[in-house]
Amino acid sequence: MSPIDPRLQEALDGERDPGTLPADLRDAYERLTGAARLLAGTPRLSVAARVMAEIRQTTRSEPAENTLRRALRWLGRPRAVTVRLRPVWTLALAAGLTAILLLPFQVGSLPTPGEAEGVAQFVGHFPGARSVEVVGSFNDWSRGMLHLNDDDGDGIWHGAAVLPAGQHEYMFVVDGERWVPDPLAGRYVDDGFGAGHQNSLLIVRPTATER
Amino acid sequence: MVNDGTPDVEVVARVLGGDGEAFGILIRRYEPGLLRFATRMLGNPDAAADAVAESLVRAYRHLAQCRDPARLRSWLYRITGNRCRSHLARRHTTDIPLSEAPATALADGTDAWAALERREQVALVERALVALPAEKREAFVLKHVEGMSYEEMAAVTGARIPTLKMRVHRAREALLEALEEAYDESN
Repeated sequence: MSPIDPRLQEALDGERDPGTLPADLRDAYERLTGAARLLAGTPRLSVAARVMAEIRQTTRSEPAENTLRRALRWLGRPRAVTVRLRPVWTLALAAGLTAILLLPFQVGSLPTPGEAEGVAQFVGHFPGARSVEVVGSFNDWSRGMLHLNDDDGDGIWHGAAVLPAGQHEYMFVVDGERWVPDPLAGRYVDDGFGAGHQNSLLIVRPTATER
Repeated sequence: MVNDGTPDVEVVARVLGGDGEAFGILIRRYEPGLLRFATRMLGNPDAAADAVAESLVRAYRHLAQCRDPARLRSWLYRITGNRCRSHLARRHTTDIPLSEAPATALADGTDAWAALERREQVALVERALVALPAEKREAFVLKHVEGMSYEEMAAVTGARIPTLKMRVHRAREALLEALEEAYDESN
């Protein structure tokens, strides 16, 4: 494979008028752009019906569980809190978290987890943020279901939820638009969409094993 | 691309608001390009259809995870590209190269002789394309078949722009060499 003239590359990249190429390079230009045109034929296949059928099946088998029912389940339970602390940020957050743990609303105000459930607390340091919420595999990445609070305006946002025991991926959404991983998560996993983004990973242990 | 005037952002909001049928708008809008991309990547229209169907279902299920619905096209191509790479990694030996697949897979011309000639040309170019390593093939297809900018290609592939430029340049060199060899043989 021999390198091709940089002027041809520039023309193919749209950085040079192909009309300015010498005749031999113009032939090569036409050959490559002609090849691309041949590859641009539109497939006669369609997967639309198949995809929509699968989507409808999914919707039927998971009616509204993702939004209303989970929200009600979350809101309707008494609350109790356990805290996950990771080495990073621990010193910086220690004072704030101590105060948080002493807040009466958290003790005994979380839902009582079932045997196959556990409690996860989310804490993040987002000074100046107007809102912080958590989206993850446990709520189908739906916004508006798990908001964190920063009642004293110190930039430490916190919240808790009862989640099914097991592994969950999640992200913080700051100010409704900025998705950021949890710097305290300690574990991360590729989000599977190939751009190098990582989701935070949370492992919830069933409460039954902690009793 | 089907464009009924409704921006992707609005369609995505409708779907996330519970109108699952609105996802059909996005399918109609992006299916042809995704199928073309997957077909060129996999060299097999059936495998491409599977990859695109799986990608679209996955996209629907994780639509709330799309961080920038205004760039939905890039996101869909990224998911599809990942499916194609997974498929290539576990590729079955029974896959049929596109050049041996039924000729009805792609639209052809109306004149029979012209169509035959065109199919031969397409087969020749496809053979040259399929001989490229997957990364270079992907770069060439995104740039010259799907008409993407290097910025959008970076969003789709996760690769840096200089890396993508190098892949495209190398792909052009390999393709041009293969095409010139074929041209010389036919004369």
